[in-house]
Amino acid sequence: MTATLPSETEAVIVPRRGGRRVRPPRRPGLLKFGYWWWALPGILMVLAIHYVATTVGGFFAFTNWTGIGEFDFVGFDNFRKILADPTKIAALGNTLFLAFGSVILSNVAGLGIAIGLNRVMKTRYILRTLFFMPVVLSPLATSYIWKFIFQFDGPVNILLRSVGLGELARPWLADPTWAIWTVLIVVVWQNTGFAMVIYMAGLASVPVEIEEAAAIDGANLWQRFWHITLPSIRPAIAIATTLGLVNGLRIFDQIMALTGGGPANATATLATEMYKQAFSLGNFGYGAALAVLLTVIILFFAVVQQRVGRGRNAED
Amino acid sequence: MTQQRRVTRIAGLLVLPVTAALALAGCSSTGSGDASGGGSNSFSLTYATSNNIESPFEALAKKYMTANPDVTITLNPQPNDTYGDTLRTQLQAGNASDVIETEAGSGQTRSVLPLAKAKFLEPLGDAVKAMIPSGSESLVTLDGTVYGAPLGISYAGLIYNEAAASAAGITSFAKTENELLSQCAQATSAGKTLFVLAGATVPNAGITASIIAATRVYAETPDWNQQRLDGKVTFAASPGWKNTLETVKKLYDAGCFQAGAEGAGFDAITNGLTSGTNISFFGPVSNASQLQSAAPEQKFVAQAFPPATSSDKAFGVASPTYSLSINAASPNKDAANKFLAWVAEPEQAGLFAEVSGLLPTTGLSTMDLSTTIYAAVADQIKNGDFTPLANSDWPNASVYDALATGVQGLLTGQSTVESVLASMDTAWDQ
Repeated sequence: MTATLPSETEAVIVPRRGGRRVRPPRRPGLLKFGYWWWALPGILMVLAIHYVATTVGGFFAFTNWTGIGEFDFVGFDNFRKILADPTKIAALGNTLFLAFGSVILSNVAGLGIAIGLNRVMKTRYILRTLFFMPVVLSPLATSYIWKFIFQFDGPVNILLRSVGLGELARPWLADPTWAIWTVLIVVVWQNTGFAMVIYMAGLASVPVEIEEAAAIDGANLWQRFWHITLPSIRPAIAIATTLGLVNGLRIFDQIMALTGGGPANATATLATEMYKQAFSLGNFGYGAALAVLLTVIILFFAVVQQRVGRGRNAED
Repeated sequence: MTQQRRVTRIAGLLVLPVTAALALAGCSSTGSGDASGGGSNSFSLTYATSNNIESPFEALAKKYMTANPDVTITLNPQPNDTYGDTLRTQLQAGNASDVIETEAGSGQTRSVLPLAKAKFLEPLGDAVKAMIPSGSESLVTLDGTVYGAPLGISYAGLIYNEAAASAAGITSFAKTENELLSQCAQATSAGKTLFVLAGATVPNAGITASIIAATRVYAETPDWNQQRLDGKVTFAASPGWKNTLETVKKLYDAGCFQAGAEGAGFDAITNGLTSGTNISFFGPVSNASQLQSAAPEQKFVAQAFPPATSSDKAFGVASPTYSLSINAASPNKDAANKFLAWVAEPEQAGLFAEVSGLLPTTGLSTMDLSTTIYAAVADQIKNGDFTPLANSDWPNASVYDALATGVQGLLTGQSTVESVLASMDTAWDQ
């Protein structure tokens, strides 16, 4: 053991014998090749860009700044205004609807596709790529294409009219009831591939022997899924739903491109309202208050998610 | 092994200098862009566009560059519906263009007065004072200093396609509401619609309501805005504003707007007007010259929205709107000032107006408009029967937003006239 050749790393850091330099002391673990303060620039950037910037933005939530010029400190007035405004409460409702709707639908669809692709098939890799492609496309660019598809003279209505369902044709994105479902469809279309990929990874770790044993014992497809597959992929479910929920609460691009928050605020969410108030209407303080509220909600759900996930794992 | 070690060592040594070089290249290119883009007489110009047709700002810039070959103007067009937000963000961040298109007054995010109050605009020289139409000084002046150079008076009304109208059998445009509704039916039976509306956009929905409000509110009470500022009236209690919104709903129910109007964007207007499928739309009549160049076979003229009955006065909307301002943080103020001084010269006084279809800022009461696109509204203009855009002295941008959103809500059935007026009052008082 002691007669091994010097490793590459030792050859770099250990000075040649005969030098007068003192050998640098060995540090444990990963710090063997560096100093802790090499990370300082990165840490400072994260602190500045993430935390300081966010805190300054959050500070404006307690002012009446218009985005330009001077401002006064107004305490919790902005938050009181939010809670007293029915359109903002409706926006909160839309935020939660889109978040939970997109998580549930994209996860169910993603899991279904993952299970379907989790067997040896000739077209398996092509199908996997096709289902994942929407995830890597720009949400804004695809939303403009969807906008064209759903517009009054667009392909969806043309198709409906051509099969005789003309009375179902409507301006989908300007319909007070259907606009938000249309946005949900676009969001689910984009995110299903992401859930599918997570579940495919999770399904790869399901023990095949147990499933085969259960099949021999007479368990049907659904029983095998519910009692064997689902418990084994619990970590994947936890990851997929956490990510899906946090992203779902922040949906912005698709709504702005498709409906701009309309018709008449029917698809407005906290994120779009925050943009509109802060930048379009020059109520930066009010918009910042909306942003703080959204952040608190996201934090709340993320913590709840973690607790539930950890609780389940502890059971196992 | 040794080769690998050498490669990693060389790579490690090169990383720092290469990163530094890239950073410096990035810094220097943004720095030199201002200074050396064609000499110290160059500057950048930003303006709003609603379509891809050549903008009058572009035409003005090209004329200036032809007259001054040593000057390069970098054009930065921005989409119209988010122009105000983008402009404010750029001014706040310090990367706005040198010369910027602004709007006279205070009611929009791109308006001169709020930007001047926040010290983003440079005081303009005396050369531009000649461009300000008399009576409109307060729209571009703050504390005695001028911050915006009005480019022309924008008449807002109906941009009316005469070719499409005669194809639908309409020979002379309606003068009362009843005539208007029957002409809507006539247009529909010819497979066209009388109006096209971009209901999903704030600018178009808002200006539609404003133009109708000119006949229903401001014709009788020209100082309605001042009364509202003094707290003497409210939107909810105003029969004129109620009538305005009810008229919008009436037009929609009578099929005057295109199908799907509540969700349409600006493209519906451009496509509909240039193809002749729709006969007219509400907007600044200066757009007519752009549309005309894109569709030479059609004929676009100005028309006034008719009053309710023949005993009511026909009233239009005209105010100095598009103006040019200089960014207070601009490094090319001399070049920008020279440009504005050139624009203010008598030869150029009518240039923007001609190219853009705006009316010149001075001499309106004596102008002969009978051979221009303003022929049908020449009397209104001559007699001064017009009001500035309704929101030019509203206290904040939320009121206009409430109006435009409310118009869309009326069309989809989500809002009632009362709820829209109440929301406008709430927005006013915030």
